[in-house]
Amino acid sequence: MKGLTHFMSGAAVASFFLPAVRMAGAERIGGANSFILVLGGLFGIMPDTMDFKMGQFFTKAEHEIDPDPMDPDPQMMAEGLGKALDDAYEKGTMVKAQMYPMRMGADLWRQYVVNFDGETNEVVIVINEIVTTSQVPILGSEPPPGKRIGRYKIKGEFNITHGRPSVVDIMSGPMYGFKKNEQGKMEIEFLPWHRTWSHSYVLGAMLAVPVWLIASLAAGWSIGWLYGVIAFLGFSVHLTEDLTGHMGGSLWWPLVKPRCNGLNLFKASNPHANFSIDYTAVVLILFNLNRFAPEPVFTLSTFKYFLYALILPLAFYFSIVKIFGEKKKKKKAGVIAMEKALAREELEYEAEESMGGDM
Amino acid sequence: MENWIVILLYALAGTVLGGFLFVIPSIHFLNFSGVVIALWGHYHGLFPIHQPLTLFAFFMGMVVSFGIMNTIPSMFLGAPDESAVFVVLPGAKYMLQGKGYEGAMLTGLGGLLGIFFLAIFTPFFFFALPKLHVILGPHMHWILALIIVYMLMSEWPKGTGKGDTWWEKFKGAWANLFAGIVTFVLSAFMGFIIFNRTMVPVKMGFQGLLPVFVGLFAVSSLISAILSKQKIPKQHVGNDIDLDYKTMWKGWMPGCIGGTLAAYLPGVTGGIGGLIAGHACAQRDDRIFVMSQGVSKVVYYTGQFLLFFVPSYFFLKGGLKRGGMAINLSPFYKPVLLQEYFFIFGIVIMAGCISFLLLSFNSKWIIKLIAKVPYQKLSYASLAIVVVMVFFMPAMIEGTVNGAVLLSGLQVIGVMCVSTCLGLLPIFYHCRRSNCMAVIIVPICISMSGYGPGLAKLLGLG
Repeated sequence: MKGLTHFMSGAAVASFFLPAVRMAGAERIGGANSFILVLGGLFGIMPDTMDFKMGQFFTKAEHEIDPDPMDPDPQMMAEGLGKALDDAYEKGTMVKAQMYPMRMGADLWRQYVVNFDGETNEVVIVINEIVTTSQVPILGSEPPPGKRIGRYKIKGEFNITHGRPSVVDIMSGPMYGFKKNEQGKMEIEFLPWHRTWSHSYVLGAMLAVPVWLIASLAAGWSIGWLYGVIAFLGFSVHLTEDLTGHMGGSLWWPLVKPRCNGLNLFKASNPHANFSIDYTAVVLILFNLNRFAPEPVFTLSTFKYFLYALILPLAFYFSIVKIFGEKKKKKKAGVIAMEKALAREELEYEAEESMGGDM
Repeated sequence: MENWIVILLYALAGTVLGGFLFVIPSIHFLNFSGVVIALWGHYHGLFPIHQPLTLFAFFMGMVVSFGIMNTIPSMFLGAPDESAVFVVLPGAKYMLQGKGYEGAMLTGLGGLLGIFFLAIFTPFFFFALPKLHVILGPHMHWILALIIVYMLMSEWPKGTGKGDTWWEKFKGAWANLFAGIVTFVLSAFMGFIIFNRTMVPVKMGFQGLLPVFVGLFAVSSLISAILSKQKIPKQHVGNDIDLDYKTMWKGWMPGCIGGTLAAYLPGVTGGIGGLIAGHACAQRDDRIFVMSQGVSKVVYYTGQFLLFFVPSYFFLKGGLKRGGMAINLSPFYKPVLLQEYFFIFGIVIMAGCISFLLLSFNSKWIIKLIAKVPYQKLSYASLAIVVVMVFFMPAMIEGTVNGAVLLSGLQVIGVMCVSTCLGLLPIFYHCRRSNCMAVIIVPICISMSGYGPGLAKLLGLG
């Protein structure tokens, strides 16, 4: 899920606590002007903050592929990544490889696509056009055919369960973790440092303890526990939401370290899923603020409130999406460019073969 | 009902005047309203006393035209105000691709869609807004704090992650994050000082934030444009825009959400509202973003002022004042009739349509100007205009030029210089410019939480 979704969900969870909502209210209605509900949002976004702003820098990759942006060599890149796979195959342990982006200027990046071909057991690198930071391609800027595609055949075989090319362009490049499974096939972990130690319910509980202690010292032991509970629940709701995607998390780190898979319900970046959860969070917050107010403003039954405020609007939204939305899954522009380049290469190869046959 | 033809003429005058005035960088309708009200104090015939709605109609025309027209200084001259700051970067990209006109018209189209949104949700405002305000009113401080926390937490490292050691990687990535936090904290600090112990002359009243915003956004952008020596390619002025209904919907929705948030929440501007809504709707496309900013700006400015016209008897205690314009004009008249709301909304629709046409007209001649005059010279000229406007703002409000007023002008320039330095931080260190909005949102949040006086005393400002 997107950061805002986790953030809003954390705040929504916090709003379920009557003492927290009462404390958060203004003094004129008997509150204490507290910021306790913000803690839910803060801890809601915390796991990804720890990963992307800290954790990724402490993870060392055994192989680094840093191409020259002015003269990218796709074959060198494919070999670099392929050798990391071979390394993992021979050693039998996880080997990490870091791909770097190719920055060409303040707002210009050379885009490339990484594909692990499960049919030919090859690492395929395709260099695409130069793009802006908004990922808008500059047409006609792709490299010449001879410097467009690189391939490397690995020693082992891929066990690709969700093969999807990775488009690398702006800001940062992906890290892959390669390991051999029990059947001797190569498995690929995308961003091996992500959603590991940071996405653990155990860590959430550990982080809630200092919050509880500090809050208790500042506000008293009778209320400090609430801060700790809200911090933990905000953190936990993030992990639970992430289970809807593919990647899952190391939910019981350090007790169980490997990352578990998610439920594969939708992609983390799915705009409709994110929007509906954000909207639900707002509806929940309003519901709780109203029912915990000294004088509730609306007195609809819970069923009617959620019917009119949540179910019907979301039903309307999703019917608009269903009628007017994209019918097919849209491929990324970079992947389409890669497929065209590979198709062209295939045609050229067949043409060469047929010419050689004539001769 | 008052003479509606006279009121309509005032609305038309406000719209057309605004349509040409707000092309000039740094002129904000709030500042201009201060000048007009000051002039009215001297020339009572400017607005008929017995027809107070003429004043509101005139300013509503200006507000709508500002919401649409402020794209021009932001996009073509690189001198945005606080709500249009997010248009600058994608706007610059459009300009560099020779599609500046298309970019401007996208925001204008967004503005019209914003007015369409206000038209549809008017019934909702009457019934839901008063109730929502009772629920949310006592919780404003932590709602603003949520926005503050999200603004800080949602900025991601921009470094490419290269480095031999973890420290080099960490340092490279955190450079922009650290700069963002520093910008935020310093802006918040500046805002707190301005709110509690301003150097701006007292008589400037609500214009006190003018030098701060101009420095943070307009002057810093202009300095950046001058230093970068950017050359603008030939601009294409077409008869159509590359847009389909799905993209319009994708731009409309986040803009409406962002603009509504900004119109209702104090201290949150159209730009911040648009940013949050953009994250909520998770869309990526410059066209969608630019259009959503156009929607957000108009919904923000027009919606804020329009809220004032939601008949006060729908509220439990008096009317809802949001935004400087409502606060400026509330001493003169308080709307009470439902009829007045619909009349003013008719003015909004008229002003929106005229402003959209003026946007096209103004964009074309600005493009011709940019083609003839080197962009760097235009930036220098814009900078000179901005500095002169700010320097003479106290004089315009006083209606006279004397030693005291000129000294006030220097004080105002001093404040502007400080905020310019702050505004340059995000430009040079590639962090978000929205961090500068801490200048208003943090002091308001602290004040609403009741900790304002205590903090002011702690800092020696109370």
